[in-house]
Amino acid sequence: MYGWTGSFLRVNLTTKTWKKEAFSEEFAHKWVGGRGFASKILFDEVRPGTDPLGPENKLIVALGPIAGIPAPNTGKCVVAAKSPLTGFYGDGNLGTRVSEHLRKAGYDAMIVEGKADRPTIVYIEDDKVEFLPAGELWGQGTYATNDWISSKYGAGAGFLNIGQGGENLNRYAVIRSLEGRAGGRPGMGAVMGSKLLKAIVVRGTHPIPQVDPAAMKALGTGDLKKVHKIDQETGWSKQSTTGVLQFCNEVAGLPVRNFRKTQHPESWRVDGERLNEARIATYGCPNCTMRCGITIHDTEGRESELDYENIGLLGTNLEIFDLPQVGCLNYLCDEYGLDTMSAGCVLGFYADAIDHGAVGGDFKFGDAERAKQLLRMAAHREGIVGNLLADGSLRMARAFGNNSEAYAMQVKGLEVAAYNCKFIPGQALAYGVSPIGAHHREAWIITFEIKHTTRESYGPEKAAKVIELQRIRGGMFEFLVACRFPWIELGWSLDNYPKYFNTITGLNWTLDDMWRTADRIYGMIKLNYLREFPGTTRQADFPPAVWFDPSNADTQGPIAGKVLELDKYDGMLQHYYDQRGYDARGIPTKATLSSLGLDAEAAEAQKYATLT
Amino acid sequence: MKIGVKLIGPLMYEAGFSEKEIEVPDATTTDALLDRIMISKTRPKIVTRNGKAVAPDDVLKDGDKIAVSPIYSGG
Repeated sequence: MYGWTGSFLRVNLTTKTWKKEAFSEEFAHKWVGGRGFASKILFDEVRPGTDPLGPENKLIVALGPIAGIPAPNTGKCVVAAKSPLTGFYGDGNLGTRVSEHLRKAGYDAMIVEGKADRPTIVYIEDDKVEFLPAGELWGQGTYATNDWISSKYGAGAGFLNIGQGGENLNRYAVIRSLEGRAGGRPGMGAVMGSKLLKAIVVRGTHPIPQVDPAAMKALGTGDLKKVHKIDQETGWSKQSTTGVLQFCNEVAGLPVRNFRKTQHPESWRVDGERLNEARIATYGCPNCTMRCGITIHDTEGRESELDYENIGLLGTNLEIFDLPQVGCLNYLCDEYGLDTMSAGCVLGFYADAIDHGAVGGDFKFGDAERAKQLLRMAAHREGIVGNLLADGSLRMARAFGNNSEAYAMQVKGLEVAAYNCKFIPGQALAYGVSPIGAHHREAWIITFEIKHTTRESYGPEKAAKVIELQRIRGGMFEFLVACRFPWIELGWSLDNYPKYFNTITGLNWTLDDMWRTADRIYGMIKLNYLREFPGTTRQADFPPAVWFDPSNADTQGPIAGKVLELDKYDGMLQHYYDQRGYDARGIPTKATLSSLGLDAEAAEAQKYATLT
Repeated sequence: MKIGVKLIGPLMYEAGFSEKEIEVPDATTTDALLDRIMISKTRPKIVTRNGKAVAPDDVLKDGDKIAVSPIYSGG
């Protein structure tokens, strides 16, 4: 078998034991890697009802056939577990040298079980695994932890770690690696923390099995240069992802004041042009030649790496239009190991709930200093407020009552990204049917809605576009495990990815094979969800109610007087279900599951829930 | 007539400005405006007026505010 090492590493923190487990070629071809491996392993090994923060939950670190091999943007890994934020399968990806080192150590994925008896670092070096005391690192932020790991193991080692947010079981704590790299929005950092696992460090020295390493090296390194050239010609990385901020402001899609507003005249103060002017350094992931991590000095003179989502949710959404202040909030999230998107939504919701009298408090939009204190409190679960904030916006809304759930900006418990869908129906659908809760990673169709169809449409073309993008973004890139940016930002052809896959594995896959695998993995995630929530209804696929509320309509600008329409959204959702072969609850039918090769998984799910 | 033009993202570096008012003849189309500000025709882009897309042959009116953006894909 080429392209895969053929082995998983299973580590048990309770017993301090580990073993190397082989998987079959058939398994490799069916699940491929990354999200595919993670969703299947968690379905097979984590029973429904398991406490996400208990020792029975498992953390998966998963790679794919092209991960870690020099080629456009393969320096990523997937982290997954049952989510403490949403209560079902959750995952994310982040840039890290783990992608290369874990594969070179001989593993395509790592399964972490149990709970350590004291804060622990797991060190992996090829066939050797050590369980080391984390000692004084416990309680430290991620920057200090990164520095310690780099000084002890060398800057070239692969590592993942958590900050105080993960240690204190903040439900949107992420896993961090390298400079600004972070992943696992639905609380993957809290799962690490619940296991008293401070860090994973890995060094691998073996070659990754490939059918033709020389051909892949020539292809991959050549393409890295081509991607770099396109980036230089287009100038994309001058502002990286933050160029989209002014686009969102123009088309009334910017999050402002907990998504109450869609534009703001001061937004220019924190946009991509200002960020580029304030730039002090640029960072990127391994195997990347279009580096997107722009750092600035925050208010304390620290280096803070910003992207659009950080600025949209910690800046405009909180009505903070001072770039160094936004940089400071972002730095604190990175230091504590909190998801910047959920943190921005949580603070925005808190200010809005106070504003609307749902709860008492002293936090107001625009108050950067209080926002910094609240982030610290959320990361450390300080007091009643810190504990509330650490649980995410859905749980906060249920605690506050007073109909505040209507403006808690989340779907299935995961907070939305920085795109305001007050009147962007297709993107609202993308959030609604994202298989892990609201996430822009799965599909982003705003430009399509404005340029290639009509914004007012709730037609089948929008459902079709969401599915097309889910197969690419949430599917292929998440199971081959590579960054989607060369394709989405620079137009790097999708045809390159089967080419890389085939050159490494010796197989002859087409993009259609990729889409079929993607559909299987989405089906797998839906079964993970169904088993946890057997009474689910299609209402779970609706975005926040405030986007349907006419009293929340803009009073001026491009979408004045307009909000999403409930009946029409429901119709568009049905288009999505019909095209996917899902039933009226949004669950794949038995026939669909069978066509995807998921008969055994369907039979298992039927022990807990009904399939139609 | 005068048209307000805002360039988004890397387009501002290509054209050399981010926002300004431009004097153009009456009945100028979107495409002609882009020629005027020297943004490559082959570069994928979206042009909006008051948040709505305009076509290359749409005729502009005095006082229009036009935004020109690369095709973003949401990160």
